[in-house]
Amino acid sequence: MSLENRIAEIIVSRLNVKPEEVTDIANLKDDLGADSLDMVDLMMDLEDTFNLKISDEEGNTLQTVGSVVAFLKTKGIEA
Amino acid sequence: MKIPSLKIGDLIVRYPVIQGGMGVSVSKASLASAVSRAGGLGVIASVGLGEEMDTSIPYLERSQQALAAEIRKVKEQGLAVGVNVMVALTTFGDMVKTCAKEGVDVLFAGAGLPLRLPEFAGDSNMKLVPIISSGRAADVICRSWFKKYSRFPDAIVVEGPMAGGHLGFKLNDLLDGTASDLDTLVKETLVVAEKYEQQAGRKIPVIAAGGVYSGADLARFLNMGASGVQMGTRFVATEECDVSEEYKQSYIDAKEDDVAVILSPVGLPARVIKTPFVEESFGAKQKFKCFYKCLITCDADKANYCIALALLNSYRGQLDEGFPMCGQNVTRIDKILSVEELIQELTGEAEPLLT
Ligand SMILES: Cc1cc2nc3c(=O)[nH]c(=O)nc-3n(C[C@H](O)[C@H](O)[C@H](O)COP(=O)(O)O)c2cc1C
Repeated sequence: MSLENRIAEIIVSRLNVKPEEVTDIANLKDDLGADSLDMVDLMMDLEDTFNLKISDEEGNTLQTVGSVVAFLKTKGIEA
Repeated sequence: MKIPSLKIGDLIVRYPVIQGGMGVSVSKASLASAVSRAGGLGVIASVGLGEEMDTSIPYLERSQQALAAEIRKVKEQGLAVGVNVMVALTTFGDMVKTCAKEGVDVLFAGAGLPLRLPEFAGDSNMKLVPIISSGRAADVICRSWFKKYSRFPDAIVVEGPMAGGHLGFKLNDLLDGTASDLDTLVKETLVVAEKYEQQAGRKIPVIAAGGVYSGADLARFLNMGASGVQMGTRFVATEECDVSEEYKQSYIDAKEDDVAVILSPVGLPARVIKTPFVEESFGAKQKFKCFYKCLITCDADKANYCIALALLNSYRGQLDEGFPMCGQNVTRIDKILSVEELIQELTGEAEPLLT
């Protein structure tokens, strides 16, 4: 499965949204309805799935689906 | 059945009644020590404590000194003491460190998600108790604390929409009555606490707060599986409460129409007594200078008034320059009791109702 698809899967199940809503430019809070609790959970989901640590500062920069993909790539995660 | 004691880690509180921390200066050493002496757990609210001191001392320093002084007044009597620190404070981490250093028994953290609390508490034996208003928030804290710090809350206070002070709900849900009631919230928090019990290797006690008024309420929550209750409003109407007579009198006088839920500069809704100040500050912005940024979430350029000052004024009895905060049940208050009388009334009423 591609990195994009794996991330989409996590977002769909955490935020209860439809897969087609999870586009590159979709904003996690404004478009996909994540509240502050969802955001904390989502960061932990990503940490668990990809086995890495996301600092608070890094987490705050992850606003869109695309930014999550790009961030994980900079951490050397490809798929 | 005999009323059970409340166990938070190795701390045993004779009666399962916590006096919730109340700022600004509503619950200081006088109230907290009276409650702990009567068999409950007294809690000092840290917020705004330094403002009665020489304000030429820097804000953080005087806040820490004033808090330490209040803590010592209770500890010197050989009593257990809790401290309430709001997560929304810019000084949150430093105030928690002061509590750890002063040997505080239980730290209560509300008005925000205390995700970094274990870090600030360090390796002290202080019990850590988040205050939350949904099962989801309890879950996120448990999951995050375990992942990051390999620990769990020592207890969880779940506060419902009838509570006094700042409220962890959306303003609209409070105004149109769609916020979950406390019974529902206690049940959903119990489910979360049980889910993590195995990993924690112990029970995570759940404490119900917000609208708890009588011994019958205490019994109902204990019967439901809660380990205790936290109460605010009723403890304001006690002889030992630290506020002015005017503040207490406003509780006795309050009718249904006098209670309002406003959006406070803290960024959260708050339940208050509708003094003329409340009505005036709705539209017009009152000029004030912010000398110290006490709240992460307050934008002094946009706020209509300084909430720290408004609360300090009402503590002092200048109700026309501020407002008392209160729970929805303030309308039921008709007299001032001693703390001992209140605890005896609650536990005496609850005991025969326990199943
Ligand atoms: C005057 C007043 C001030 C309060 N201040 C605080 C505070 O500083 N921090 C906090 O976490 N809760 C605060 N609370 C909430 C109480 O600790 C408690 O949880 C709540 O009042 C329980 O609801 P009850 O008033 O219906 O018993 C305050 C409540 C009141 C009435």
